Amino acid sequence: MKLDRTIRYQADSDRDFGRQVMAVPGCERLKDCIQCGTCSGVCPLSIYMDHSPRQVMALTREGFKKEVLESRTIWLCASCYACSVECPRQIRITDIMYELKQRALRDRVYPKGLPTAVLAKEFAGMVHRNGRITESFLVVLLYLKTNWLEALGQWRLGLGLVRKGRFPFKLDAIRRRAELRRMLDPEPDDTSATAPPTDRRTP
Amino acid sequence: MATHCEEIRIGFYVCHCGHNIAAMVDCEAVARYARKLPGVVVSRDYRYMCSDPGQELIRQDVREHRLNRIVVAACSPLLHEHTFRTATERAGLNPFHCQMVNIREHNSWVATRKQDATRKAKSLAQAAIHRVRFHKALQVQRVSIRPEVLVVGGGIAGIHAALTLANAGKKVFLVEREATIGGHMAKFDKTFPTLDCSACILTPKMSAVRSHPNITLWTLAEVTQVEGFIGNYRVKVRRSPRYVLEDACVGCLECIDACVYRSPKFPDAFNEGLGKRKPIYIPFPQATPKVVLIDPATCLNLKTGKCKQTCLEACGERQAIQFNQQERLEEIEVGTIIVATGFKTFDPRRQPLYGYGTYPNVYTSLEIERLVNASGPTGGEVVARDGRKPRAIGIIHCVGSRDRKTNVWCSRVCCMYSLKLAHLLKEHSEAEVYNFYIDIRAPGKGYEEFYNKLLDDGVHFIRGRVGEVTDWAMTPEEEGRLVIRVEDTLAGCVRRIPVDMVVLATGLEPQPDAQAVRRLFNMSCGGDGWFLERHPKLAPVNTFADGVYLAGCCQGPKDIPDTVAQAGAAAAEVLSLIDKGYVEQEPNTAYVRDEDCSGCKSCIPLCPYNAITFAEDRQKATINETLCKGCGTCVASCPSGSIVQRLFEDDEVFAEIEGMLAYDA
Repeated sequence: MKLDRTIRYQADSDRDFGRQVMAVPGCERLKDCIQCGTCSGVCPLSIYMDHSPRQVMALTREGFKKEVLESRTIWLCASCYACSVECPRQIRITDIMYELKQRALRDRVYPKGLPTAVLAKEFAGMVHRNGRITESFLVVLLYLKTNWLEALGQWRLGLGLVRKGRFPFKLDAIRRRAELRRMLDPEPDDTSATAPPTDRRTP
Repeated sequence: MATHCEEIRIGFYVCHCGHNIAAMVDCEAVARYARKLPGVVVSRDYRYMCSDPGQELIRQDVREHRLNRIVVAACSPLLHEHTFRTATERAGLNPFHCQMVNIREHNSWVATRKQDATRKAKSLAQAAIHRVRFHKALQVQRVSIRPEVLVVGGGIAGIHAALTLANAGKKVFLVEREATIGGHMAKFDKTFPTLDCSACILTPKMSAVRSHPNITLWTLAEVTQVEGFIGNYRVKVRRSPRYVLEDACVGCLECIDACVYRSPKFPDAFNEGLGKRKPIYIPFPQATPKVVLIDPATCLNLKTGKCKQTCLEACGERQAIQFNQQERLEEIEVGTIIVATGFKTFDPRRQPLYGYGTYPNVYTSLEIERLVNASGPTGGEVVARDGRKPRAIGIIHCVGSRDRKTNVWCSRVCCMYSLKLAHLLKEHSEAEVYNFYIDIRAPGKGYEEFYNKLLDDGVHFIRGRVGEVTDWAMTPEEEGRLVIRVEDTLAGCVRRIPVDMVVLATGLEPQPDAQAVRRLFNMSCGGDGWFLERHPKLAPVNTFADGVYLAGCCQGPKDIPDTVAQAGAAAAEVLSLIDKGYVEQEPNTAYVRDEDCSGCKSCIPLCPYNAITFAEDRQKATINETLCKGCGTCVASCPSGSIVQRLFEDDEVFAEIEGMLAYDA
């Protein structure tokens, strides 16, 4: 039997990671967390999570970047905001989850095959490229990148949508997309740790 | 004594305060600079001016150099003005010929560059040196102290303070808003950590208050007006009608049996609404005074006038029941006041996730105190509101404490009383008891040992703040019960724990009328609403109003030992004042120059201390200097500039400003 080490050395942590997250507007109060566990207690999805929201807060603050960004927790968050409402320290936990999701996408460490991560990435990418989404294309992309075999099971629904004209074959897009891109991608000189990170992937 | 015609000879001293000042201010340079200023005869820097050799330095210089003004640049005058004034006085000068410059709190502690801090110290020093030239010789006023004391609030704090003072032979007025003294402590079953019976240790003190010849006890009474100043307060007390004569009633309680309501019908406030009472009742068997009272809101005769008045018959010849009793206004004169108005517990309806008010089997801790109490509504039997005997009980800590949405503070007593209730609930029932806590705070004599005892007793401790209390069952075991959903943060998983009874350890809050009481006694409140002590460490029972002291939870959450200790301290402060017989007042008061006063009266409503009156005969405003606190509001507002404040006269202030501006780096 192979034994994995479970100890966490200080070298395993990235001290700047916690500091960077806490520097993002809305995430500052993470510093105040008293680890009471209210967030996990109210979270309707905490029963499926590998790390509870409370553990994500502790790991983030201590800079355990790898554990946090590879965790399923941030992708299971359904943004119901129950944790943010009940937190006795008024930490905006849902907003921190979003910040962590963006970082996971940027670092490409999100769990492969988990549809929420792929959906978030494709959704953002499509908005970035076209200024709006076309649901038919998005759904196809999602199935292709997660489990394309499952799409075959949906053929009857797809056929019905096509027949009713609800499955456009043309990609919808706004005009003056270059201007949108300039808004979404700040010039290199005004990027900083506090600027909202965007998906800077080239299409 | 120095006069204006006399040559001004100033001694200037810079204190290093160890590293506190010297690390940021070049003290030697400041002393060198001051030496060149007009009037300065001696200028020195010294390591600790407040030390004996430092004060001796001043005395020696006054003797050798015939100084008549002293300027000390050191810490805040709040700390050492008295020290240096006394040193000046001992050197044979008028103490008010000394001026302090604050170069620590206002300068070295907040500055970031030594260069700037030194410049600021020099300019502040120059301002004071300019000003001190105009200082006049002032005399300290003496105010005598009346020996009577008013104690507001008859909880354990008020009781202990009143008894201490009365035993010392002082006359005490104890004013209590409720029908009986005893406060919250009278409701408790046991006290932590010794598990003393609360009533057994409290009721002897209560009856001692009642029978003490030096204590005048007024229940159902409230202070409505406070006028005057330290040593001489005039207080008005409103006494609500009890409809029963306290002197005539012997507490036989026959009237209660005779009431036309056959059975108790109205929720009983003393039992937190868990029991019922009649319109004529006594709060609890040991109530002090042991006199019944009639609740006008529920008594048929007082409400409608149509009642057989069977209580009157039962009372018979004693004629203690008087339906026509009216509200009375008492006026008393006291020298000092102890405020011990206590606290209220947090209303858990403000945190709906715990289901208080929704699920009948969710209780507050005070309700459980009554439930487990032998004289409580169930006689000490643990039965839930729906008649069930609980198999499992969950105690939720920190309800309305340590929460930015409600109260940020730790209420200090909840951990310990939750442990006590866990013990009592286990003793009175067969139930498994779960404690849900964030941190167990057991800092006190014997407290940690009590926690260990509960661990030994097999009480469950789950570290995690409860997410919700629900009746929504997910497993057969949870059917028909309350479920507590919580992350067991030590085990690292989310758990659902079915219980039959939930106890909310509600935190402590200031009384809802704390702001009104604060204004009544001219005290201050902290940002959290508790009454503010003058200094958190060194004057914990004093307030910013002279002659008004604090005791108990109105100053902040505390347990019974701390409350009693504070009440004793407040009584000791009062006794030391009374025994001395007088206080000295800072002569920084204002006075009106009659020749300039136009009689416009604009200053009168502005005075926060009601010190200004209008002399109708002369048509001039006059200031009562014992009431004046030297705030300067009237001085600034007077349109004709006729009000002058000692120590802040125009020539002094202008000279100070000139000195500040004349400094040129």
